[in-house]
Amino acid sequence: MADTTFRLRVTYGKTGRLRFLAHLEVLHACERSVRRAGLEYAVTQGFSPRMKVAFGPALPVGTEGRAESYDLWLTRFVHPATALEALRGASPERLTPVGASYISEREPSLAAAKTLARYEVVVEGPDMGPDRLAEALDGVVARGSLELVHKGKDKVYDLELCLPEGTQATGEIGRAVAHFTVRMGPWGSLRPEALVSEALRSSGLTGAVTYVTRIGLRSEEESS
Amino acid sequence: MTDLWPLVEPLLARIERPARYIDSEFGVRRDPDAPYRAALLYPDTYELGMANQALAILYDLLNSAEGVAAERVYVPWKDMSAAMRAAGVPLFTLESVAPVRECDLLGITLPYELTYTNICEALDLAGLPLYATARGEDDPLVIAGGPCAFNPEPVADFFDAILIGEGEEAALDIVAVHRRAKADGLTRAAMLDALATVPGVYVPSLYEPATVDGPARPRPGSTAPAIVEKRVVSDLGAFRTPPCPIVPFMDVVHDRANVEVLRGCTRGCRFCQAGMVYRPVRERDADAIVRDALGQLRCTGQEELSLTSLSTTDHSQIEEVLRRLTAALRGRAVSIGLPSLRVDTFGISMARLVGEGKKGGLTFAPEAGTQRLRDVVNKNVSEDDLLDTARAAFGEGWRRLKLYFMIGLPTETDDDVRGIGELVVRVLEVARETVPPAQRGGIKIGVSVSTFVPKAHTPFQWEGQLTLEQVRERQRVLRECVPRKGVDLHWHDAEVSFLEGGLARGGRELARVIERVWRSGGMFDAWTEEFSLPRWLDAFAAEGIDPVALASSPRDPAAPLPWDHISSGVSRAYLVKERARAFAGETTPDCSFENCTACGVCPGLGVDIVLGGASRG
Repeated sequence: MADTTFRLRVTYGKTGRLRFLAHLEVLHACERSVRRAGLEYAVTQGFSPRMKVAFGPALPVGTEGRAESYDLWLTRFVHPATALEALRGASPERLTPVGASYISEREPSLAAAKTLARYEVVVEGPDMGPDRLAEALDGVVARGSLELVHKGKDKVYDLELCLPEGTQATGEIGRAVAHFTVRMGPWGSLRPEALVSEALRSSGLTGAVTYVTRIGLRSEEESS
Repeated sequence: MTDLWPLVEPLLARIERPARYIDSEFGVRRDPDAPYRAALLYPDTYELGMANQALAILYDLLNSAEGVAAERVYVPWKDMSAAMRAAGVPLFTLESVAPVRECDLLGITLPYELTYTNICEALDLAGLPLYATARGEDDPLVIAGGPCAFNPEPVADFFDAILIGEGEEAALDIVAVHRRAKADGLTRAAMLDALATVPGVYVPSLYEPATVDGPARPRPGSTAPAIVEKRVVSDLGAFRTPPCPIVPFMDVVHDRANVEVLRGCTRGCRFCQAGMVYRPVRERDADAIVRDALGQLRCTGQEELSLTSLSTTDHSQIEEVLRRLTAALRGRAVSIGLPSLRVDTFGISMARLVGEGKKGGLTFAPEAGTQRLRDVVNKNVSEDDLLDTARAAFGEGWRRLKLYFMIGLPTETDDDVRGIGELVVRVLEVARETVPPAQRGGIKIGVSVSTFVPKAHTPFQWEGQLTLEQVRERQRVLRECVPRKGVDLHWHDAEVSFLEGGLARGGRELARVIERVWRSGGMFDAWTEEFSLPRWLDAFAAEGIDPVALASSPRDPAAPLPWDHISSGVSRAYLVKERARAFAGETTPDCSFENCTACGVCPGLGVDIVLGGASRG
């Protein structure tokens, strides 16, 4: 690896039909965008050298992301606006970078730092409305914990810990939107559609989750 | 064009690998206003179809033509096709999410016999009649091409037309004729008559069907040619390598930049259909290869480059190409791969050039275990060649070699099979002599053994294939003689090879067998977990066809064959002569480097060998 490197944090969206990409597919696509952009990236040492890039928390298949990020190490300084323009021209339409800025090498990794994720979950159904959805969500939160089975494993989530800002609902009859922030940690990450589906089930509401969007990621220190 | 996305999107949350169906990759071409629309279909899933270079070439070519838009189609996996049928969603193109049946043309490549049932699935899912004769005036033109088109008869009934040979010039001719026919308001029948005048185009409905006993013959009154000669591009340099192929999101096979460095091979291996039907050898020149490779890497952002052909190290300028590319790519973590290596042209200098970047595995194909049998098949590779190559590779830091062999070749004995094991032992010895003691634990020889399948247009097209019992016996002999330590031994499924043999040399009667298998649930036969021989045997029995006779009976070289109406340019007399030389153990030299061997291709088709971008003249 070159002696001096520059750590560029790139923020991008994963939108529209590309929400169906898996996290590894997004990683791979971003790396290729970097190559196409012609940025001089650092390469890891070892038997199988790879581009030096680090990604934030995984976004599940089916979830849109408005402000996801990765850190890219460059061997030559390029003005962030220039880097951003090059990346935008080299990226698939719905996986477009929206911001780029340099950060200190001393900053913790994205995975370690960005532990709060803000979500919007759209629920549709003939009787669905924001008041009913809010009540259903309150009912689940009041239980204090939520047990879910994911990929064959049982997980129990402490809801006070996992939902530090409570839950809210907006929208109109027929289409309501749940809003909440999920805290990620050693216990994993509470899947937003799982929380909302449980709220619908336990309250007997008819409706289905039709869209999930991660609005953004932030650290505990950053305000919402 | 109808936009099916609102109907497709809700299905994607419920199926595996939705990335197969969402388009939007970097490099996609879109022209929603183009008046002529072509759907290009690979008869398997997205992750297999994206590797197909022929379709990538046609995609670029047609999308660059005035007024033409070409879009991709792959066969949906079973979960998606079930969801589509339940929701009433027909087969769609990826770029526009438009129904395939709204396109003007549906082009289907025929890469492998075991994809034939997928053709039925695709046609049915598209809402098109399986059989060409049942299609209406408004149905798209359904046309096939690709390697299996050289014996198209088993699937001929499903297609309006079949292109034999190379598509760069022919695809544009076909589109031009079709567009003119539509503009002139011709009936479908008149349009097919017009297509039959395009060189290289075979229109099955204009012929009495071919059977296992003989070729298709033009119907009385038809002006279709008795023999359809393949199309061949005389100047490969006149057609650009796709400058910016689509970059997939999901893991696909051969996910890398691909630059074709030469087409054709005249080494003359007698079992090899590709070597016979893609003659003559035509090289792209080094400047074009280097320019296209660097351009493609820059445009796609791929981290791996493959220089593709039937025999890449045979290219007369390959060392210069590798030197220039490795210099240009140094320090960028981009590796260069050569998929087809000849044992006799991979020496130390080549090993050093290829090994500069990331070292994967190296693959060579000695094919037979004894010199006698290698001479029979005209492999023209000696044991010393193989051991020298192994020494060079291990000496330059490789630790993994893969060796391809075949069993069931004509005249093969158990001694020849045991010869495979003995050869592997000697390669291991070379490896242990060459590799430092501390690294010997990493030595791995992969031995992959397939079963010989006689293919049309080869000197061995008349031979019988081993029966299943014979294959299993030879595999047993092999298991006993190949060492276990440091060796991974694999063989191709004998049942799959058996079926391939039957489908490769059958006639038009096989269409009903293929349909029966598909209707009984058979699809994705090329996938190990999906293949079911009993399903095929039931279908053969129901149609009164003996598959063992089809695959394993030798044929009289004087008798007509179901594909005699298709010409690869190589004369029947040459194939008969080569067969006789095989049984006499005589080898035939490579005409690209030595004198013409009179196969008939160059004078017959008006082409010539092209080396380093220049015709040899």
